[in-house]
Amino acid sequence: MSGPHMLADLWSDVRFRFRAIFHRAELERELDDELRFHLEHEAAKLERRGVPSDEALRRARLTFGGVDRVKEEARDARGVQLLENAMRDLRYAVRGLRSRPGFTLAVVATLALGIGANAAMFGVVDRLMFRPPPYLHDPASVSRVYLEYTFRNEKIEGGTTEYLRYLDLSRQSRAIAQSAVVHNAQLAVGVGEEATEMRVGIVSASFFDFFDARPVLGRYFNSSEDSLPAGAPVVVLGNALWKTRFGGRRDILGQQLQVGALNATIIGVAPQGFVGGDETEPVTAFIPLTTYAILNYPDFASNYSWGWLDMIIRRKPGVSVAQASADLSRAYGWSWNQERALDPELDAVTAAKPHATVAPLQQLRGPEGGRDASIVLWISGVAAIVLLIACANVANLLLGRAFGRRREIAVRLALGVTRKRLIAQLLTESVVLAFLAGIAGIVIGEGGQSVLRSLFLPKSATVGVLDDPRTIVFAALVALLAGLLTGFAPALQSGRSDLTTALKSGVREGGPQRSRIRSGLLLAQGALSVFLLVGAGLFVRSLHNIVSVKLGYDVDPILFVATNLRGLKLDNKDAFLLSSRLAEESRAIPGVVSSSQIETVPFYRSRSRSFSTPGIDSASRLGHFQMQMGERDYFRTVGTRILTGRGFDSTDRRESPAVMIVSSAMARKLWPQQSALGKCIKFDDTLPCTTVVGIAEDTKMKDVVNDHSMGYYLSIEQNQPEDASLFVRVRGDAESRAEPVRKHLQGLMPGTSYVTVMPMRQIVDPITSSWRMGATMFLLFGILAVVLAAIGLYSVIAYNVAQRTHELGLRIALGAHARDVLRMVLGEGLRFGLAGIAIGVAIALAAGHWVQPLLYDESARDPFVFVAVAAVLVLAATAASAIPAARAVRVDPSIALRTE
Amino acid sequence: MDSVDTERLELPQGTLDLLILKAVSLEPQHGWAISERIRQVSAAALQIPQGSLYPALHRLERRGWIKAKWGESDNNRRAKFYELTRTGRSQLEAEADAWRRLTVAVRLVLDMR
Repeated sequence: MSGPHMLADLWSDVRFRFRAIFHRAELERELDDELRFHLEHEAAKLERRGVPSDEALRRARLTFGGVDRVKEEARDARGVQLLENAMRDLRYAVRGLRSRPGFTLAVVATLALGIGANAAMFGVVDRLMFRPPPYLHDPASVSRVYLEYTFRNEKIEGGTTEYLRYLDLSRQSRAIAQSAVVHNAQLAVGVGEEATEMRVGIVSASFFDFFDARPVLGRYFNSSEDSLPAGAPVVVLGNALWKTRFGGRRDILGQQLQVGALNATIIGVAPQGFVGGDETEPVTAFIPLTTYAILNYPDFASNYSWGWLDMIIRRKPGVSVAQASADLSRAYGWSWNQERALDPELDAVTAAKPHATVAPLQQLRGPEGGRDASIVLWISGVAAIVLLIACANVANLLLGRAFGRRREIAVRLALGVTRKRLIAQLLTESVVLAFLAGIAGIVIGEGGQSVLRSLFLPKSATVGVLDDPRTIVFAALVALLAGLLTGFAPALQSGRSDLTTALKSGVREGGPQRSRIRSGLLLAQGALSVFLLVGAGLFVRSLHNIVSVKLGYDVDPILFVATNLRGLKLDNKDAFLLSSRLAEESRAIPGVVSSSQIETVPFYRSRSRSFSTPGIDSASRLGHFQMQMGERDYFRTVGTRILTGRGFDSTDRRESPAVMIVSSAMARKLWPQQSALGKCIKFDDTLPCTTVVGIAEDTKMKDVVNDHSMGYYLSIEQNQPEDASLFVRVRGDAESRAEPVRKHLQGLMPGTSYVTVMPMRQIVDPITSSWRMGATMFLLFGILAVVLAAIGLYSVIAYNVAQRTHELGLRIALGAHARDVLRMVLGEGLRFGLAGIAIGVAIALAAGHWVQPLLYDESARDPFVFVAVAAVLVLAATAASAIPAARAVRVDPSIALRTE
Repeated sequence: MDSVDTERLELPQGTLDLLILKAVSLEPQHGWAISERIRQVSAAALQIPQGSLYPALHRLERRGWIKAKWGESDNNRRAKFYELTRTGRSQLEAEADAWRRLTVAVRLVLDMR
C-alpha cells in the first residue's frame, strides 16, 4: 500500500470507526441479520441434500462455530472493540459492586486510607522537595548557592552569604546568567492597632527577573531603587496582603506603608500566588535589599561580616551544576582574597579552601537538608508501605470474592468468553473500586494534610489537596496503580481456573489450595506492619531520648522578650537603659517570678568573642565558646545551676572589677585539673582581667545532638550591650502569660518601637521537630498498618471458617469439644501472626543499618521495641481470629450438615 | 470447527483476504455466497473456516478495500452485499501478482534437481 492510497485508506478507517462507535446498535443489528442470513442459507443447502430441517439448522450452526465468538471477532475487526468492551466491563463492574455494598464499602475504605495517606504525604514532599515556586521561569536552570570553608580543620557551613560576597560572585562568575539575593525577615507591617508581624521578602531587584510574574498593579522595583549606598523606600505588596489589608483597591499606588523601620511607598502589587522563592515560606511583601540593609547594618556593603543572604542563580544555557559549582568556587576564592585584604588575620585560600556548592532551589535537597530530607523520604516510603498493605488486603478480599464466583466465571468461560476478556473484566472491577477509593482518598488526604502541615510546613498557609492539581493527578495515578495491583492476582487466578472442576465441584471444595496466594498476601501484610511498628517504636523512643536530653536550663516557664526599635535612634546608653527598665518593670507583672536581661538565646541567636587567657596559647583553638550575658537573677530565671563559686549579684556594678561565670565543660577544657575560680580571661589585651567567679552546669546552646556545651557568662551590667533582650520566668502556663506581659511592656516602648514575646518552648521545639515528625508519622502509619493487617487476617480466617462450616459441623457431631475447635481456629490466626512477626523482624533487623542515623541514643535493634511489637502483633492476631473462632464454636451440626 | 475432510487444504496465512477480494471482484456478493463460491471454484479443496469469514469481511471493510450495502438476494431476502472498491481493486492486483510470483518461485525451488 503506498502513496495516494494511504490517505484514502486512512479516511476510510476513520469513517468506519466513527460509525462503529456512534451507530453501534445499528451495526450490531446488521451483524445479527448478516449471520442469521448466512446460517439460513447454509441450512437450506443442507436441506436440499435431504437433511431434516431442524437438524439442518443445528448442523449449520455447528459448522459455523460459536456465534458469539464470531460476533466478538467481527467487532474486533471493526476496531473499536477495545472501547466497547471497556464500556461494557464498566457497566458490568458497577452493577456487580452495587449488588454488594458491604464488600464495596470495605474495599473502598481500605484503599482510600492508603491512597489518602499517600496523597497527603505527596502534597508535603512535593512542596518541600520538588515543586518549583510559582511563576519561576525555567526552573531547571535555577539553583541555590551554598558556601563553606575550612577553619581549623573544621568545615564551616552556612547557607547564607554577605552582600559584598554576592557582588563578588556575581561579577567574577562566568557560569551564571542571573543572580539574586533574598532574605526573609519577620517585620511589623502597618502602624498602631493594625501593626502585625509578617514575613517580608527582602530581595535584590534582580530577584524579579527570575520569574514570569507580571505585577497586577504598578511595577516591581528596579536596580536604581535597589542601589548603593542606600535603596529607595518602596514596597511591592503581595497579592494576599493587598486583598486583606487594602481590600484589593486599585488606588493604593503611591500610598505609604510602614514596613519594619521603613516608611515605604507602595509601587506595585504582585500577582496571586507569587510568594517569593520558597512556597513553604510565603512572604507578604517585598522591599529592596539595600533599603533594608542600610537601616540595619550601615556597613553592609563595605565589609564581609554580615552573612545574612540566600543567593540564587540561573546557570547559563549548557552549564551543568558541577561546572557552576567549580566556577563559583573559583569566584569565591577570588572574593576570599578580597576579604583577606580587609582582614589580614583571615586564613589563606589554601588553608580555608573556600568552596561553593550549587544545589537545587529546595533547601531540603541542598547540602544542609540532610536529616530532615531523609526523614521526609522515609515517611513517604512508610506511606507507600501502608498503601501496599491496603492493596494486599483488598487483593485478599477480591480473591475471596473471585473464589466465591468460580461458578459464574466457569459458566462465562463455557459460553465462549475468552480468558483475556475475563481478566480485563475483573481488572476493570478493581480499577473502578480504586477510582472510588481515589476520590475518598483525596478527601481523607485533605483532612490528613492539616495534620501533616503542622508537622512539616508550619510556616505555610496554603496547603490543600483539593485545590492542588499535582496532588490530584498523583492520587489518581496511585489509585490506578492500586487498582491494577489489587486486581492482578484475582484476575490471573480466575483466568487460570479449571472449567470442568469448577462446574462439577460444589462450593466447598478447593478451598485450602486456592488460599495459598491469600496466605502469602497475609504474611506480607503482617511482616510489613511489624516493620512499620518497629520503626514507630524506635522513633518514639528516640524522641523520648531527645526531649529528655538535659538542656541545662528550663524551657516551659520562660518567655523570651525582644525589643524592636524600628529605626528609632537611641544611643548605646539609652538602648541599654530601655532594656534595663523593661527588666525592672517586668518583675512587677503578676505571675512573673523573675527576669533578667540577656544577650543571646539558645538555638536562636548566638554570639562569641575572641579572648586570651594567660598561660594558654590561643584559647580559641580549643573549641567554640558561646557567650551569654546576664544580671543578678539570670541563673535563677533560666534555671541553670551554679556548681561552684557564685552567680552574678548586686556587687557586680559597672565600675566594679569584671567578672564571669564559665560552664563546667569550658572550665575543664581551659584549666584541666585546676580550679577555674579566680582565673583571668582577657577579651582585649588592653583591658584588665575578667575574673572567673563561678562555674555553671553545662547547657545546650546551638544543637541538641552535637553540642560541646562550652559557654561563658558575662555581667550585662558591666558590658551594657545595645541590643539586650529579656528572659522572663513565669508561674503556670507560659503561653497564656505571654500576652499580658507583652501588653504591659509595650506601654514602655517609645514611638513606633515595639516588643515581641515568645515562649521559649516555641524556640526549642523546632529543634526536635524532625524527631517528633518521625515519631508521629511512623506511629500513625504503623497503627494504620496493624489495623489493616488485622482486618485482613480477620477476613481470611472468617472466610475459611465459613468454608469449613460443613467440616466443623461434622467434627462437632462426632464429639469434638468447643475447646478443640477454638484452638484450631485461633491456632490458624496465630500461626499467621507468628510467621508475619518472624519475617517482619528479619526485615526490620536488615533495615536497621539505614534507620540508625535517624535515631538519637537508640539502637535500631533495641530488643525492647522488637518484643513490644511482637506482643502487639500477637494480640492483634488473636483479636482478629477470636470472632471467627467464636462463630466456629457455635456451628450447629444439624444445620451445617444439612446445607450444601 | 475442525474439518474432518482430509482432502481439504489448510489456508496459508494471509491468503484469506486475497481470496475474498477475488471472490467479490466480479460482482457484489453476500457472505455465504463468497464462501460457497470459493469452495466450488477450488473444487472443494479450499474451505474458508466460516468463523473467520465475517471478521475478515469487516476488517477489509474498515480498510476500505471492500464496501457493503444491503440488497435483495436471489430468493428476495435482505442480504448484505460486499463489493470491491477502487483501492480494493488495486490491492487485489498487487496481492494477486505477489502471490503468482511467490508460487512460481516456490515451484522453481521445489522442482530443483
